Amino acid sequence: MSNATVIYNEHVGGPFFRMALRWKGRGFRPGQFVMVRVSGALDPLLRRPFGIYDVLGGRKGIEILYKVVGRGTGMLSELDPGDRVDVLGPLGNGFPMVRDPGSLVMVAGGIGVAPFFWLAKGMAGKGRRPVLLYGARTKEEVRLVRPFRAVGVRVRVTTEDGSVGSRGLVTDLLDRELVEGRTVYACGPLGMLMAVSEAARRRGVKCLVSLERAMACGIGVCLGCAVKTRPHPQEQKHYSMVCSDGPVFASEEIDWDSF
Amino acid sequence: MGRTSFSMTASGKVALGVDIGGLKLKNPVMTASGTFGYGIEFSPYMDLNRLGAVVVKGLSLRPRDGNPAPRTIETPCGMLNAIGLQNVGVEAFIDEKLPLLRRFSTRVVANIFGETVREYSEVARRLDGARGVDAVEINISCPNVKKGGMVFGTDPVEASKVVRAVRKATGLHVMTKLSPNVTDIKVMVKAVQDAGTDSISLVNTITGMAVDVEARRAVLATTVGGLSGPAIRPVALRMVWEAAQVARVPIVGVGGIVTARDALEFIIAGATAVQVGTANFLEPDSAVKVIDGIEDYMKRHGIRDVNEIVGSLKTPGPRANPTGSAR
Repeated sequence: MSNATVIYNEHVGGPFFRMALRWKGRGFRPGQFVMVRVSGALDPLLRRPFGIYDVLGGRKGIEILYKVVGRGTGMLSELDPGDRVDVLGPLGNGFPMVRDPGSLVMVAGGIGVAPFFWLAKGMAGKGRRPVLLYGARTKEEVRLVRPFRAVGVRVRVTTEDGSVGSRGLVTDLLDRELVEGRTVYACGPLGMLMAVSEAARRRGVKCLVSLERAMACGIGVCLGCAVKTRPHPQEQKHYSMVCSDGPVFASEEIDWDSF
Repeated sequence: MGRTSFSMTASGKVALGVDIGGLKLKNPVMTASGTFGYGIEFSPYMDLNRLGAVVVKGLSLRPRDGNPAPRTIETPCGMLNAIGLQNVGVEAFIDEKLPLLRRFSTRVVANIFGETVREYSEVARRLDGARGVDAVEINISCPNVKKGGMVFGTDPVEASKVVRAVRKATGLHVMTKLSPNVTDIKVMVKAVQDAGTDSISLVNTITGMAVDVEARRAVLATTVGGLSGPAIRPVALRMVWEAAQVARVPIVGVGGIVTARDALEFIIAGATAVQVGTANFLEPDSAVKVIDGIEDYMKRHGIRDVNEIVGSLKTPGPRANPTGSAR
């Protein structure tokens, strides 16, 4: 019933927490996620999906970075070291590897930065530095990119009021980075993903997005986390499942008008 | 175990096998349609050979896309869904999924769905010759599609037509899955058994909805969906008990079963077998835990054969106050 132990559950400001779990999962790829059952109780009933933030040394577990948005994450935030939860995963496809770290442009908004850290950490320090363009609304959100700077990622922050970094939207920063040979990986609010996707399309730059959806199972059977996708030439399928076909999709696969 | 004061059979084994109208299962625990994919998806998480039967996602004549999103929302002790019977279609099931399922010794029940009586019988006919399919479960109770589904599930005359047509189209075991969204379940039980069903499973989801009060919009894209999970268990149990009073064919109890204790409630109330549904989302191996728990219960109570407890509910005689309302 519970297969993981909380090592720490650190409040990183505002609604954000960073939790380390001792857990014997394996075979992770950056951009994958886990489904966490916060308690053995039946209310809340379902597991909650969280992107893998980091993998602990010696692969003895994982870290997740999460935002308290409701009762499930609220209960998670109250757990102490030694408490037990149940982790299912790793799940989903994850991000493909990029050969030249310097060609990677990560774009994130708010808590959407979470699935990038392990990827960025692995790439930084290997040749050219990858860049993270980050759109924040609060000073607590700004704080979430500190660890990225610490591992050598080039970080550019925008805030809507200009209180930190440049003033405006993350897409304002994007234009300069959209040069040939670059690849964009984006995760964050839907509006941001749509704008990033459109900007990349206009400049002919490859763009992958990591989507977030409420999920019941996480393993492709409840068919709840459907997103409308453009059918592949050979397939009739018009919906894809964020959990089992994603969460990472080529942005041109997504039917953005369906949202 | 060593907790029982009764003597067991020489091996200490209890008999879990059940026969639901000619369909013999190694134990009374199945997985419910729509919560278990095509079965194969669960093989990384459990030994599928342990299950009494796998009931696959509802199959239609042609592949179906399903409904727009959002399709699910969590509710207290349950969830609403409006998937809209997204499925690969009966042909792709037979060609692509069934060969993988045949590798397991578990019974395979194909849940079938149509928008017309003819479509139901056509799906059943195609499954008739498919090696590895042991039964069809007629879904006359899906609340999430515009045509068919619920109409057949709430009208005894329409329900009879579907069952008769499927019965004629296949030599397979025919199980009929009833909707709880009716005033008197006994009417539906009589209708489908007179039409020739071999067994009856109940309940499908209870219709429900949720509103996003900030946006003043329905949460589900279809407004109304089907409620499942522990929240519906008492309702499902009451309906299974009522059905068992009038049924001449075996009953399969479904609705909010998470633990062995939950499953035993249904069995004691008159179900010969049970289906585990939404619980598969919480723990992929829920059904196996239910089987283990039933076995454990039997050992504790000195029950050698699970059939001994089917319908063994002790009643205090005729109910004096059937509505349960206080005077």
